[in-house]
Amino acid sequence: MYDGRAVGVGPRWLPVALTARRSEVWPRPKRGNVGVDSGLSLIAACYGVGMLSSLLARWSGRLAIGVGHLAALAGAAAGLGVSLVILLGGPGRTLTQPLPILFPFARLSLSVDGLSAYFLLVISLVAVAAAIYGPAYLRAHSPEAGRARQAAQVFALNMFLGCMTFLCCAGDALTFLLCWEGMTLSSYVLVVSDDRDGENARAGLLYMVMAHGGTALLLVAFLALTERGGAFDFAALRAAADHLDSTTRTTLFFLALGGFATKAGVVPLHVWLPRAHPAAPSHVSALMSGVMLKVAIYGILRFAFDLLAPVDGPLPPSWGWTVLVVGTISAVLGVLYALQQHDLKRLLAFHSVENIGIILIGVGLAMILWRQDGVSGALATVALTAALLHTVNHAAFKGLLFLGAGSVLCRTHIRNIEELGGLARRMPWTAGLFLLGAVAISALPPLNGFVSEWLTFQALLGGGSRVHGPAGLVIVFSAAMLALTGGLAAACFAKAFGVTFLGRPRTAQAEHATEAPPSMIAGMVWLALLCVALGVAPGYAIRLLDAPTAMLLHGPAASAVVTARGPLVLSAALTPSGTDATAISMTMMAALLIALTAMAWILRHGLRRSPARAAPTWTCGMSPTTRFDYTATAFAKPLRLVFAALYHPRREVTRETAGTPYVVQRIHYAGEIVDLAETQIYHRVEREISALSRTIRARSTGRIYGYIGFVLGTLIVALLLIGVIYR
Amino acid sequence: MTGDRPLVLVLLEMALLVLLGPLVTGAIQKMKARLQCRQGAGVLQPYRDLIKLLRKGTVQADTASGFFRSIPVLVLAATVAAGALVPVVRVGPPAFPLGDALMLLGLLALARFLTAIGALDAGGAFGGMGASREMTIAPLVEPVLMMVVFSTALTAGTTELGALAAHRGTSWIVAWHAADFLGFAAMLVLLPAETGRIPVDNPDTHLELTMLHEGMLIEHSGPGLGCMMLATHMRQIVTLGLVAALFFPALPADSAGATGLLLGAGAFAVKILVLALYLALVESSYAKLRLFRVPQYLGVGFACALTALALRIL
Repeated sequence: MYDGRAVGVGPRWLPVALTARRSEVWPRPKRGNVGVDSGLSLIAACYGVGMLSSLLARWSGRLAIGVGHLAALAGAAAGLGVSLVILLGGPGRTLTQPLPILFPFARLSLSVDGLSAYFLLVISLVAVAAAIYGPAYLRAHSPEAGRARQAAQVFALNMFLGCMTFLCCAGDALTFLLCWEGMTLSSYVLVVSDDRDGENARAGLLYMVMAHGGTALLLVAFLALTERGGAFDFAALRAAADHLDSTTRTTLFFLALGGFATKAGVVPLHVWLPRAHPAAPSHVSALMSGVMLKVAIYGILRFAFDLLAPVDGPLPPSWGWTVLVVGTISAVLGVLYALQQHDLKRLLAFHSVENIGIILIGVGLAMILWRQDGVSGALATVALTAALLHTVNHAAFKGLLFLGAGSVLCRTHIRNIEELGGLARRMPWTAGLFLLGAVAISALPPLNGFVSEWLTFQALLGGGSRVHGPAGLVIVFSAAMLALTGGLAAACFAKAFGVTFLGRPRTAQAEHATEAPPSMIAGMVWLALLCVALGVAPGYAIRLLDAPTAMLLHGPAASAVVTARGPLVLSAALTPSGTDATAISMTMMAALLIALTAMAWILRHGLRRSPARAAPTWTCGMSPTTRFDYTATAFAKPLRLVFAALYHPRREVTRETAGTPYVVQRIHYAGEIVDLAETQIYHRVEREISALSRTIRARSTGRIYGYIGFVLGTLIVALLLIGVIYR
Repeated sequence: MTGDRPLVLVLLEMALLVLLGPLVTGAIQKMKARLQCRQGAGVLQPYRDLIKLLRKGTVQADTASGFFRSIPVLVLAATVAAGALVPVVRVGPPAFPLGDALMLLGLLALARFLTAIGALDAGGAFGGMGASREMTIAPLVEPVLMMVVFSTALTAGTTELGALAAHRGTSWIVAWHAADFLGFAAMLVLLPAETGRIPVDNPDTHLELTMLHEGMLIEHSGPGLGCMMLATHMRQIVTLGLVAALFFPALPADSAGATGLLLGAGAFAVKILVLALYLALVESSYAKLRLFRVPQYLGVGFACALTALALRIL
C-alpha cells in the first residue's frame, strides 16, 4: 500500500537525479514529455547500433544480420512511439533538439512537427515489417552470400532507415541535405548488393546519376534560400522566403519540385525506378517503394506549404496545376506500363509510379484550392487528407506486395511470372496475403486503397464544381483518369496474381516451392493488418492526420472535415455547410459484407450436402498441360492493342518448319513495348550528349598546356560573370 | 443524423432486389423471344435454373486452389452489398450512411476482379480468355460510368444515390439540361456493356469467339455456379437501378406510409421494365461487336460523358 507522500521517493537504488525528476513530473503528468525528448536519441542509438553490428560479420554473418535487423526493429518501434506522441499530443506540438556542432558555420538541429511526425510514422510502420522479414529473407534468398556482403547490407539498411527518419525530422537545410545524400548512397549500396550481375550494376549507376541530378537541383534551391537567410535552419529559410519576388519564388519551387520528383519517380523522371527498385533485396524494395518515395512527397509538401509559401494569399497557380497534371500523367502511364511487365517486382515498381501520381493529384489539388477566394477551406483539407492517407495506404499495401513477391522470389528464384503458376496450393499464406494487397492496391472496397481514392474523388469533384471554366474541366478529367487508373490496376493485379499463384506450375522451381518461413509471413501479416484496419476503420487513422493538415494549411484539421459525423463515417464537405455532404461508412459496409458472405456461404453449402468431386479441366479433348494456362502476355494483349499508341508494341515471330510451311516444328515469339519517356526523351538526350562528347574529343589533344589554358579561360569567364552580377 | 431511409428499409430494399433480380433476366429473355417471333421460356425460368443449380453436386478442376471454392460466395456477397446502395421504394439519403455511387461501382469492380481471379484458377484457356477480355472492357467502362455519375453529382453536390434521386425529384425530360441528355445517352451506350449484353457480350452462349462473362463462369458448377448466376442477375438489376436513380423522376420522399412505399415500388418496377425493354430491343436488333471494335463503341459513350461534364462546368 502506497500513501500519497511515498510517491516520488522511489526505490533506493535509483540515482538521485532521476527520482527528483520523477517527483517533479508526477503531480502534473505531461504525456510522454520525458520519453519523447530522449526518443530521437533513442532512434539514433538504435540505428547506430545496427550500423555498428555489421562489425559482427567478422565472426558470423548470421549474427550480424540478426543483431542489425533487431536494432532496426527497435529503432522503428522507437520511431512509432515518438511520432504517435507528437501526432496525438494536440495541436502545434513540436519537438526540437539541437545536434552537436559539427560544422563551424552551421548549427544543426532536429525539429519534429506534425508533418515530420506523420512521415516518421509511415517510415516506421514499414520499417517494422522489413526488420521482421529481413533476416529470414536474406538467409533464404542468398545463403551463399559472403560476410562482406552481409556486413554491407546490414550497415546500409540501418543507415538507410536512419537517414530517412532524420531527413523527415531535419530542422535545417544542412541536416536535410546530408540525410538526403546518405539515403541515396545507402540505397545505392543496397541496390547493387543483391546479385552481382551487370544489370544490377547498370541499374545502380542509372539510379546514382539521376538521384544526383535531382540533388543538384535541391542544392540550388536550398543554397539560394540559405544565402538570403544567412543561416541554415528552416526558420531562417522561411524568413528569407518572405521577401522573395514571385518569379524567384516560383523558380525555386520548380527547382525543388524537379529534385523531389526525380526521387519520387514522377513521369518522365521515373526511368531509374523500375530498374533500381526490383534489384534490391525484397524488404529493401518494400522500403524504397513504400517509404523512400514518400520522403520526396514530404519534401514537396515542406517546400510548397511551409518554406516557400507566401505569407498570405494563395500559392501561385502554376505550382498546383503542374503537380496535378504531372500526377495524373504519372498515374495513368505508370499503371499502363505496369500492365505489360512480366517481372513481378518490376511490375510492382511501376505501380509505385502510379501511386505517387495519385498522391500528387491530391497534393496538387490542395495547392490549387488553398486560400482561394470562394472555395471553402475545408476542400483543400479534404484533398491533403486524401493525399496523406494514400501515402500511408500505399506504404502498407506496396510493402505487403513487395514482401509477397520476395517470398516467391526466395522460394523459386524466379521473377518472371510466366515461369511461375500454381503457387497458391504450395504457398497458401503468401498467396492469401498477396491477394489482400492486390485488392487494396486496386482501390476496391472494403480495403484501404478505396478509402483514400474515394477521398481523392470527392475532393476532385468538389474542386471541379467550385473552380469554373476549363480549369474545372481539367480537375474533373483528372478524376476520370483516376477512375481509369483504378480499373487498369485491377486488371493488372488480376493478371499478376492469377498468373503467379493460380493455374498449374509452369517450371520445376514453381512446382517444388514451399511456404515461406514464419518470420517472413509475420512481416507480411503486420502490413496486411494495417491494410485492413486502415480500410475498415479509417476514421481513427484520420485523427493522426489532424496535426499535419492543421499545421500545413492553417485551416480546419482533417477530422473536423472528413470524420465530422463520427469516426465510423467518412464524409467530404462538398457543400460549404458540410451537413448534407456525401458520407460513407467503411465499417458498416465491411460488416454488411461479412454478414452477406456468411449468408451466401449457407446458400452455397447449407441447403444440401451435395457431393463434390475433382476432375481435370476441360481442354477440348486434349490432355491438360501447363500450355493451356493463359499466359500474362496473352492476358494483357487486348489492352496492349487498345493502348497501342502509348506502347508502340513490337513483336517478332519466327517459325521453324520442316521443309513445308504446313508442318511447324517450333514458333519463336518475342515481343516488347517501349517506354515513351525513354525513347522520346532519354535516348535523344543520350544521342546529343554522345555527339557533344565527340566534338569535345576532337579538341582534346592530350597536351597539358591546352588543358591549363581551358581552366584559365573558365576561371576568367567566371570571375567576369561574378563582377558583372555583383557590380 | 437525419435521413429519409432507415437502415431496415435499406436492407429490405436490398433483399427485394435479390428476389427480383432473376425476374428481370427472365423478362428480358421473354421480351427478346417475342421480338424474335419465338415463344420463349417463361419469365420464371431463371428461378428454376437457380434452384436446379443449388441442388446439384459440384465438379471442381483438380488444379484449382483453395480460393476457387470461396470465389462464388465472395462475388455474390459483394454484388448483393452493392444492392444496398440503390434507392428502390423511396428516395433520399439513408439514415445511416452506408455508401455512395463510387462505393457501388467499387463493389461491382470487386466482384468482377474476384470473378476474373476464379477464372484463372482452373488453368484452362477459356477462363483466362474470358478474364482477359472482361478486364480489358471493364477499365474502359468504369471511368465513363464515373463521369456520368460526376455529371449529375456536380449539380446535386453529392454522390449518394438516394440523395441524387431526391435531387432529380419529379422533373422529367422537359426540365432537363443538355448535360442530362448527353449523360443519359452515355449511360444507354454503357448499359449493354455493364450488364454483359449484345453488342458487347453475349449472355446466351459459351462459344469462345463471343464470350466474356460466360467464359469466366465455365469452370464453376452446381451451387457455386448458382451463386455466380444469382450475382449476375443482381448485377444487372443494380446497374438498372443506378440508371433509374440518376436519370428517372422519383416520388417525393415525404410521401410516407404504406401507400407511398407501394407507389414507390410500382414506380421502380416500371422504370426497370422500361430499361429492360431497351436492353431487349438492343439485343434483338444488333449483332455482337468484334472485341476490338468495343473500345470504339465505348468511345462514343466517353465523348458523350465528357461533353456532359464540360457543359456542367463551363
